[in-house]
Amino acid sequence: MATIESIQSAYIDHVLTEGEQPKSVYIFAKHNEMSEAEFYQFYGSFEAVEQGIWAGFATKTLAEIRAQEVWEGYTSREKALSFFYGFFELLKSSRSFAVYSIKKQPKGFTTPKVFSPLKDIFEGFADEILKEGIESTELSDRKYFSKKYKDALWIQFVFVLNFWINDNSAGFEKTDEAIEKGINVTFDLFQRTPTDNLFEYGKFLVQNGGIKDKMGF
Amino acid sequence: MADEITGTTPEQNSIPTTKVQRSAKFVKTGIKIGGNYIKHYSKKLFNPDLDKSELNEDNAADIYQSLSELKGSALKVAQMLSMDKNLLPQAYVDKFTQSQYNAPPLSGPLIVQTFRKYFGKNPDQIFDKFNIRSTNAASIGQVHKAELNGKKLAVKIQYPGVGDSISSDLKLVKPFAFRMLGMSEKELDIYMKEVEERLLEETDYELEVRRSVEFSNACANLDNVVFPNYYPELSSKRIITMDWLEGKHLKEFLATNPSQELRNQIGQALWDFYNFQQHELRAVHADPHPGNFMITPEGNLGVIDFGCIKEMPEDFYYPFFSLTSTNLLDNKEETIKAFRQLDMIHKDDTPVQIEFYYTQYKDMISLFAQPYITDTFDFSQTAFFDELYSFGERISKMPEFKQARGVKHFIYVNRTNFGLYNILHELKAKVKTDTFKPHVVLEY
Repeated sequence: MATIESIQSAYIDHVLTEGEQPKSVYIFAKHNEMSEAEFYQFYGSFEAVEQGIWAGFATKTLAEIRAQEVWEGYTSREKALSFFYGFFELLKSSRSFAVYSIKKQPKGFTTPKVFSPLKDIFEGFADEILKEGIESTELSDRKYFSKKYKDALWIQFVFVLNFWINDNSAGFEKTDEAIEKGINVTFDLFQRTPTDNLFEYGKFLVQNGGIKDKMGF
Repeated sequence: MADEITGTTPEQNSIPTTKVQRSAKFVKTGIKIGGNYIKHYSKKLFNPDLDKSELNEDNAADIYQSLSELKGSALKVAQMLSMDKNLLPQAYVDKFTQSQYNAPPLSGPLIVQTFRKYFGKNPDQIFDKFNIRSTNAASIGQVHKAELNGKKLAVKIQYPGVGDSISSDLKLVKPFAFRMLGMSEKELDIYMKEVEERLLEETDYELEVRRSVEFSNACANLDNVVFPNYYPELSSKRIITMDWLEGKHLKEFLATNPSQELRNQIGQALWDFYNFQQHELRAVHADPHPGNFMITPEGNLGVIDFGCIKEMPEDFYYPFFSLTSTNLLDNKEETIKAFRQLDMIHKDDTPVQIEFYYTQYKDMISLFAQPYITDTFDFSQTAFFDELYSFGERISKMPEFKQARGVKHFIYVNRTNFGLYNILHELKAKVKTDTFKPHVVLEY
């Protein structure tokens, strides 16, 4: 009896040995001793299998990090860091597949389809921790911009993913550095910064300082 | 809401990422220091009596700020500079001494990640208790408190990528060291290379565990010196697990106003620890900054860091330590031979130069060797240290000493012994100095 896991691992095995997708669901099913109907019970296409694998990395990571004793005590910043570290640690065991899957994506600015379910999960998580952070005043609530915070985190995620694909350092230590530094910079920007204060001050002066009159405008 | 409090942890506020950013950091420091000078001279216009200590303090604060933001090897250099008190104005020393105790910590998730990477487990799965917030910085890493089977442990974790940034950090520090120490470029290069070697060794935690076990066994018989147990099975390339030593750092210890007897006991332990290593093991714990020692409630000296070990080859050991014996130093011909072997006198020096360097170095060494000449030495006497510092100052102003002299081994051996002298001076300890004597050769 086929399961989600068995289809995923058979698929990964195939693409890594053959270097390409199976010719058809029929052939794939036949090789793995299941019926085509069984395959379609779980997935509508090979692309869906690949999407499912990526999404699976994220759900597994989340389950893993949320089970850690320290989780509850983490700030939003630490929760984000924890997700990134957990995700790339998990991905290590499937690096060949990850490299295969990413390298065949067309270069462009839109998120490749294969990442869509992963992105949904990621954004759900990001939303959650960002809201927490804003509520606890760890992060600064800015008009218009706070809604964009999660996009910034996604961009960061895609960046680290590409960084990791090209990382040759032992134990992917450079990726750890990229995460530690990148996430910290991003969260520094989410916090109250001097620019916020400058903006506030400017607003105050315009409203109360009578700048226009004094400057002779 | 201008007055809201941002709920951030002080950790990891900003560590400059790339070399460019790190350079920018240093450039910024340079500009700030420039600004401090302007501030100083504009004040001086109105108040000609103003001395330079405020200026030095401003500069030291800015340099320290930028070094501690850089973390890693640059911080290590800050620590090294603070060792050589005689080379730096007091304000620099005070600021740099801070760096021996604290630096910004790593994030909790990175700690967890490091454990997962090397042990495949979270720290809370390995230890019964693990404090995710660190208690001390260790300059290239940080220390966490943990517990296992009722035993308190100290877990040291290294920052990722430290090894890679050491070389580039040192290049960045160079112009500042250059200005602050007033060394010639060639001299600085020898210095930097030796420092780089030692620093790279310090990033190898597996080596450190091996050495710690080796040295604590070799020194096990020394009176009043204690070492933590090390746990190689709980250590890796980036993690060291050892017993948690209860105790006070030197400053805290001195603040309790300890008795002369206790101070002598600690001082003796320090003296024995260093001189046993130098003369019997020929390899020495070359990082005698106060942060590496603990004074336990029982009045023992606890040694907690073997990251920096300087090995002394015979062709350095014999000529150098033989000079601490009056018998050799009274023999001019043999002394000059020893100086030549140590590259303190160059082979193309003129007879006038030979005479000059012979006199200077002889004075310097007989001063340095004073504690070795007598059986006991009272390190509380300020006169000895004043003489030492003023000699250092005089030398540093002589154009003859702007060029590189002396083999590279001097850097760490001097640092070790001056560091030791300094700590003993702060302890105001009276020490029996004939416990482990140098091995001497009388002819070259």
